[in-house]
Amino acid sequence: MSISLPADEPPRAGIAARLGGGAGPFVLGLPALVFLLLLFVGPVLRLLVLSVEGGDLAAYEKAVTDGLYLTVFWETFRIAAIVTAASIVLGYPVAYWLTTVSRTTAAIGFACILVPLMTSVLVRTYAWMVILGRNGIINRALRDWGLIDAPLPLLHNLPSVVIGMTHVLLPMFILPVYSVMVRVDRELLRAADGLGASGGQIFARVYFPLTWPGVLAGGTLVFIVALGFYITPALLGGGRIIMIANVIENQVQTLLDWRFASALSMVLLLATLAIQAASSRVQAPRG
Amino acid sequence: MTGTTPTRLALALAGLIAALAPGASAQEPPKPRQIVVNVAGGDTLAATRRIFFAEYEKRYGIRVVDSSPTNFAKLRAMVESGNIEWTVTEIGGEDAVRGQRMNLFEPIDRTVVPMDELPSPARDRKVTLARGVYSTVLAYRKDAFKPGAYPTGWKDFWDVKGFPGPRSMRNRAIDNLEFALIADGVPVDKLYPLDVDRAFKKLDEIKPHVAVWWSTGQQPAQLLIDREVVMTTGWNGRFYKMQREEAGVDVAWPGAMVKVGTFGVVKGTANAYWGQKLLAVFLEPKLQAAYAEAVGYPGTNPKGWEFIDKAAFKYFPTSPDNLPYVGWTNDEWWADNGAAVEERFSRWLLAR
Repeated sequence: MSISLPADEPPRAGIAARLGGGAGPFVLGLPALVFLLLLFVGPVLRLLVLSVEGGDLAAYEKAVTDGLYLTVFWETFRIAAIVTAASIVLGYPVAYWLTTVSRTTAAIGFACILVPLMTSVLVRTYAWMVILGRNGIINRALRDWGLIDAPLPLLHNLPSVVIGMTHVLLPMFILPVYSVMVRVDRELLRAADGLGASGGQIFARVYFPLTWPGVLAGGTLVFIVALGFYITPALLGGGRIIMIANVIENQVQTLLDWRFASALSMVLLLATLAIQAASSRVQAPRG
Repeated sequence: MTGTTPTRLALALAGLIAALAPGASAQEPPKPRQIVVNVAGGDTLAATRRIFFAEYEKRYGIRVVDSSPTNFAKLRAMVESGNIEWTVTEIGGEDAVRGQRMNLFEPIDRTVVPMDELPSPARDRKVTLARGVYSTVLAYRKDAFKPGAYPTGWKDFWDVKGFPGPRSMRNRAIDNLEFALIADGVPVDKLYPLDVDRAFKKLDEIKPHVAVWWSTGQQPAQLLIDREVVMTTGWNGRFYKMQREEAGVDVAWPGAMVKVGTFGVVKGTANAYWGQKLLAVFLEPKLQAAYAEAVGYPGTNPKGWEFIDKAAFKYFPTSPDNLPYVGWTNDEWWADNGAAVEERFSRWLLAR
């Protein structure tokens, strides 16, 4: 899937043409294309074939009519939406802050964002268990300060899943938004100021519309990746928060119903593609 | 002279064996350099390597490469694609039944594997060998209760007033249904066929008190250590070390559900014969006893108990101390009904 980020630089068609003659761009894209065909399109087609094994659509019928799986799909979309909203609220100011500070500070800021991105999701998930547990850091501190008698149920519920997933996905929102923000022409903001707009007006009618493509790209990325989350809900949800990936895993590993698992996967894929298509048609809000 | 008959017979037999023996070894398939054996991971893998694989490698000069964890889906894919990586694989009880029905295993060669040493029904198995047993048990933190007033079974697990505190159970139906029925008063030897409706009704009672529905084997012990729960279900080997070291966690054996841990030679493997030889090593009582001492999962060969200290019997689900109080999981029932019941359980878990 492609997330349409605004190009950082003007296209360098000249280099491609010189390297590969007339078919340059195609030749240069070939390795990536072969890679995608073999490792993505191929397996997806296999899943598709598996899902209609037996020549009927019974597996799909079950996937989209059975209340159990509809509930799980709904829950999955709901969690992905909450995580996306949380990423926007937390990530937008951080991205803006990064455009205003010195180069050195920005470099440190980026390190703080990128290092967690390169740390295993499992490790970060376990870290939240240590923090949020009944005997975890927060509960122990609150108890030591005499604020609570019994531990608060911070872990194994929806909020803990949202916290863990947002932590994992936040960098994927900040980076696209930042790349748009740095290229916003500051003169426009100054012009708006000169024409008498208030701070709120400048933000709502000039700055936010200009950065909207980044919000859309980052938000779409976070939402789509969140739809497929598996390990974080499994561990932080205490088995009570069940997302569609957990159900697919259960079908493959426990119930051995690969046909139905394939159908569920295809439905998830279609939903993802639909969201991607819809997001590329959304217009920037008019200022 | 009637007295000579047995002697003659013995001589004839000896001759027969002598005649057959060189032939038998000549018919032995060529030794591979190595075989791949797939086992459950963690402590059991380390102990299996140290105790069984080491003996096999020493005896036959064939290296054993291990892989883990057990994965029925992968086994099925392997046999279906013909790309067989494992020679032998460990497999859970009801999966062994399913694997047998799907024809994923070579039959056991009883001339190589001395199955007759085992008690029935382990003796009567056709395609997978029951090496040992494992058990899903009730484990608890001692400091969560008054000394001496510890939970003794599933009735206490369900008794949230007498034994307060959050609980944990597995996120699957297997075992949980049995535990619910035992808590509801069904004797361990009268569980099957399971009264599924009655079990779910009883599970409704405990559901609000289950903080975590665990999915992987190491979670229950960790949940107890982290004080996330005061009692939990879990596989006995995961608590065995804490029990033996008196580390504040103990197990209530009555109503524990015991299952056989089995191994099969994967259908179509090139080294089936040498896989059978490994199964034979798995049955040796002394090795089985060493394995039980190491990880808490006793073997199926009854002679194994001769090599274990009587004082340690209380740590093992099928020792003479605990055997009368445990139940045996009916793998056939689960192979027949598992899919439908597991789906109902998922539904039940999601319902608010």
